[in-house]
Amino acid sequence: MKAAGWATVLFAARLLDADEREAVLGDLEEVGETSWRGLIDIFGLIARRQAGHWKNWRPWLAAFGLALPCSFALMGFSLSVSRSYLDLIGPTIFNATGITVGYGFFLLLCNLLLLGAWSWTGGFVIGSLSRRTLWVSAALSFLPCLFCLARFSIDSLSRLSLLLFLPPAILGVRRGLRIAEIKLSAAIALTVGITLLTIPTWNSSGPWIPNWALSWPAWYLLATALRSGTTA
Amino acid sequence: MKLGEFEYLLITAAARLADGAYGAAIREEIEAATGRKCSIGALYTTLDRLEAKKLLKTWMGNATPQRGGRAKRVVRVTSKGALAAKDFYDAIMRVSRGTTWAVGQTKGAT
Repeated sequence: MKAAGWATVLFAARLLDADEREAVLGDLEEVGETSWRGLIDIFGLIARRQAGHWKNWRPWLAAFGLALPCSFALMGFSLSVSRSYLDLIGPTIFNATGITVGYGFFLLLCNLLLLGAWSWTGGFVIGSLSRRTLWVSAALSFLPCLFCLARFSIDSLSRLSLLLFLPPAILGVRRGLRIAEIKLSAAIALTVGITLLTIPTWNSSGPWIPNWALSWPAWYLLATALRSGTTA
Repeated sequence: MKLGEFEYLLITAAARLADGAYGAAIREEIEAATGRKCSIGALYTTLDRLEAKKLLKTWMGNATPQRGGRAKRVVRVTSKGALAAKDFYDAIMRVSRGTTWAVGQTKGAT
């Protein structure tokens, strides 16, 4: 194979597992396959592997039941928290008049914690369910972000306020990829915490369906922790 | 255990190659026998499926210079795999009995 072609084949083969990459590249080298034919073979294998992952329900749930809808909802919630912050704390700090701690501040704190907890649990469940299809879930999360960033037109807020949910979500994904489920005590604490934090929003006139939709990853974590606790 | 056509071809090629059964050799064997191109994707995903069914056993073998110092995925047919292949072969022989293209070749089949 020509050097440039072979380099392309080697690059494409990085998408395969280490052992499989070793065996496939060795096979290609042994039969003296052309780089074009080798690329087709490698992409064919990658496509089959990816298709195989989607035979399971988990990637579907992670991508279309969680990543896509929750990124929309979390962006809305990020914006809401940013607005609350601006209304409540921003002017007081800028005017150097100090922070007045009242119910509004308490609500903002609850919402901030809730945003972090929802984002982290959502990210964790996406990471643990997606695994090798994570790139699809990530793409489906970023598509709404790009759409909303492009249409963002609030002068008093930065576009980045839409993406407040991303750092905890990314941390959750990283953790979810490393450990598939959390300990029962942690799952209980998270679920109870999230449920308690949503209490102040029960009386508000805001939409309650997204609230519960964003809470289900915590309940899922609790269910999986309970199940593994009983089967262990 | 029911086999598909390609699964049967793969098990048979691996059995024929015996100790020399690994990815590239099996691929060449199948291509020579059928006259059709065998893609690496089909080969390796079928190997995984058959291994999951415990019809084959595979492991990473030694690296060789003609492979650029890369290891082979060595394949061994299990007794369960041999039995499944025999069942498939018998079924083909039975269903082919009496056909014009199988005259004189299926007398031994039960």
